[in-house]
Amino acid sequence: MSFIEYLTYTWDDLLETGIGHMVAVLISLGIATVIGITFGVLTYRRPAASQVALAVASTILTIPSFALFGLAIGIGLGLGYAPTIVVLSAYAILAILRNTITGLRSVDPAITESAKGMGMSDWQQLTRIELPMAWPVIMAGIRVSALLILGIATIAAYVGGPGFGEDIFTGLSTLGSVNSVNLVLSGMLGVMVLALLFEVLFTILGRFTTSKGLN
Amino acid sequence: MNDAAENQNGREATIRLEKLSKEFPGQEEPAVKELSMEIYEGEIVVLVGPSGCGKTTTMKMINRIIEPSSGRIYISGEDVTDKNPDELRRHIGYVIQQIGLFPHMTIADNIATVPKMLGWDKERVSKRVDELLETVHLPNSYRDRYPKELSGGQRQRIGVARAMAADPPIMLMDEPFGAVDPITRERLQDEFLRLQQEILQKTIVFVTHDIDEAIKLGDRIAILRDQSEIAQYDTPETILTDPADEYVEDFIGSGASLKRLSLSKVEDIKTAEWPVAKLTDGHDSVRRKMEQSGKDYVLLLDEREKPKRWVSLSDVEHDSIPLKEAGWPAVAIVEANSSLYDTLDTMITSYRGSAVVVDDNGGYKGVVDFETVLTSIEEMRPQEGHQAPGYIADREDLPS
Amino acid sequence: MSAQETKEKQRQEEAPEAAPQQPGGKPGASRGPSLAWKLGRYLTMPVFLVLVCVGLYLGISSRDLDSIEQRSLSGGYIIQKVVEHLQITVVATVLVVLISVTAGVLLTRSSMRRVSPYIVAVASTGQALPSIGVIVLIAVVFGQFGFKIAVLSLIIYAFLPILRNTMVGIQQVDRSIIEAGRGMGMTNTAVLFKIELPLAIPIMLAGIRTALIIVVGTAALATFINAGGMGDIINSGIKLNKSTILITGSVLTAVLALSVDYIAGIAEDILKPKGL
Repeated sequence: MSFIEYLTYTWDDLLETGIGHMVAVLISLGIATVIGITFGVLTYRRPAASQVALAVASTILTIPSFALFGLAIGIGLGLGYAPTIVVLSAYAILAILRNTITGLRSVDPAITESAKGMGMSDWQQLTRIELPMAWPVIMAGIRVSALLILGIATIAAYVGGPGFGEDIFTGLSTLGSVNSVNLVLSGMLGVMVLALLFEVLFTILGRFTTSKGLN
Repeated sequence: MNDAAENQNGREATIRLEKLSKEFPGQEEPAVKELSMEIYEGEIVVLVGPSGCGKTTTMKMINRIIEPSSGRIYISGEDVTDKNPDELRRHIGYVIQQIGLFPHMTIADNIATVPKMLGWDKERVSKRVDELLETVHLPNSYRDRYPKELSGGQRQRIGVARAMAADPPIMLMDEPFGAVDPITRERLQDEFLRLQQEILQKTIVFVTHDIDEAIKLGDRIAILRDQSEIAQYDTPETILTDPADEYVEDFIGSGASLKRLSLSKVEDIKTAEWPVAKLTDGHDSVRRKMEQSGKDYVLLLDEREKPKRWVSLSDVEHDSIPLKEAGWPAVAIVEANSSLYDTLDTMITSYRGSAVVVDDNGGYKGVVDFETVLTSIEEMRPQEGHQAPGYIADREDLPS
Repeated sequence: MSAQETKEKQRQEEAPEAAPQQPGGKPGASRGPSLAWKLGRYLTMPVFLVLVCVGLYLGISSRDLDSIEQRSLSGGYIIQKVVEHLQITVVATVLVVLISVTAGVLLTRSSMRRVSPYIVAVASTGQALPSIGVIVLIAVVFGQFGFKIAVLSLIIYAFLPILRNTMVGIQQVDRSIIEAGRGMGMTNTAVLFKIELPLAIPIMLAGIRTALIIVVGTAALATFINAGGMGDIINSGIKLNKSTILITGSVLTAVLALSVDYIAGIAEDILKPKGL
């Protein structure tokens, strides 16, 4: 069976898989965004603390994904959704954290000083000036993380998680059969399609949420 | 040294700094060492000094952007050294050199920042924004624009407007006109002076490194040494004519006397009597006027009393040449409110070393030549108890 | 985009913290990091890794292991897996670096100037390919498993990101310096070897380090095509449902990856030309 033919038969299954894949990614991204921005906000004014936070996040990123999945399962999270979300969130934190810190720090000091001079409290400065101005950079970080965990999520299937990894691993285990190549290809195609979708989504989201006065 | 302050007849200083000091960690010498000074309501006090003398640090201690290491700050009698700084700053206007407009907000939102923080209602805020845009001569359509769409000079004006939005009684300005070209800067300075005189009458602390700007804008100037030690704190006139020491002299630089001239207006001195005639008069009448006055030249005006041409006797001898082509055009013209400095400048390039003074509409008022100017300069020389004519008139609140 | 790529970007962009400037007054004496502080930073990771290994060892040896666990956790078995893993890593890294850097240099020549932005763009989007997908695809397409297939798929997977890094790094070399070289009469080749490459070394070193990290991490997946490596231990832990094996495999894989990263970092610091 050719690949195109294969797709016509299985597109609805693929769609379902895709949704599962995307949901896992979105949930993890959400968690990572909350953690990343929170710690970014807490540490951007303190060089020592931010270095520690960044070092921890980047160490996590150096750990091979398979190993982190193994660790998550080994410490008792079991198989399936739980380790998937934990691992994906952990990986997604770094880019968001780093960009939050960089973005907040890159705000022109003259602007924060005039805000301070007008009597804005630290919290007001953060929410009305610094975060809105750092938002494009933060969004870029979220985008990077999204693409990253989109790929890593494929491994999650091996440990019972959702997503296109399942097609890939099935293709692997049925090596030599009629559809093994198609299975793997469809899994990879699914990831690529989601990647494209995310790019488009982020571009639109970026335009809507960034002030016209920036860029 | 600080006589000016003591002559205030017991008036409370609006801003009083008492032995303010600031030490930065890692530095041997304090940036500001025990500075005490008083600033009164409605005056513009300019802090000038060389780079690194601590003038900006001093100003920033007033609204505690930089917290003093020691000393106390009193505003309208209240000790604000330990008060909540955010509260304090909402009632002090603050303009810095880089302006610091919020790029992600519209002009209107920028200006509205402090009023909104103080809880003004929407309508009041909106009206205030309109008012301020008009005050700084920017069209109302700019409300919804973003800072990146404005030129440097326009941004500076918005910066000032934003600082004035909640109508604070005190304003701190750190080289606010520094980041624009000299032409724009001069215009901004003139507008600023007009604003202060006609509308604001605020108490303003102004920092600059430019002594000429200080002389132009300041009611009183504090010339600072390293660590913000006051070398002289007095009116510009006194500093120029009676510098306290060599440091002050060096700081003023050469041309102190010429700088003095920039403080006086040409309308304040007596103009010379000069024969004038109309372009529509006949040659005869012009010749007669010349004879009567005993002067060699006559100034011809048009129907609207605007000076047009100078003619000498030989130019009008023959009736064949019409008056409006005789002689040479009158180009050395100054407005009545020009400074003596600018007048001299014009006169030097004029044909005969004289300039015609006109009013706001360009109508003839009188003629000045070198003799008249020299006479006034004579009268300006500092003498015991003597006030030079003219310049004090605009600044009523100054100590005598 | 791989995990390691993301980390590399962060490393490159993180500038050393400068001493704070004092407003208004004369600049204060800048206090750079003291020697003790620097040493501390270098030693943090190795100390951490040693502690982790010791902890793991103590944890395992205090338990009673059944025969399966004993076999999977024997010293000999583990060392064999480490060696396998490193073999795949080194071979794949050397090859991919050679191929990517050469391609990167070729694709940034002036004759390719019009095409290169598109290539960079494609290389950037190609990073969304999942690592496991590439490995399995190659294996399935070629119909075999084993060491060679693992190396091949790792090369293919790591090729695009390293290519992109190399191209960007070479393109970042200040044009005016090149112009100065041409102005002195240097040929294109001379400019390449005497100016562009030397100046692009820091970026390329970073790229090599990235390659190393990508490969050592992805090599854990070689287990799925019977190519050995640390992934075997993790996999047996999962299949046998034994958390001891699982944790040991995972921790040791992580330690291996972090060690390789650390050593590569030191090498990068040493090899980086001074003055840049």
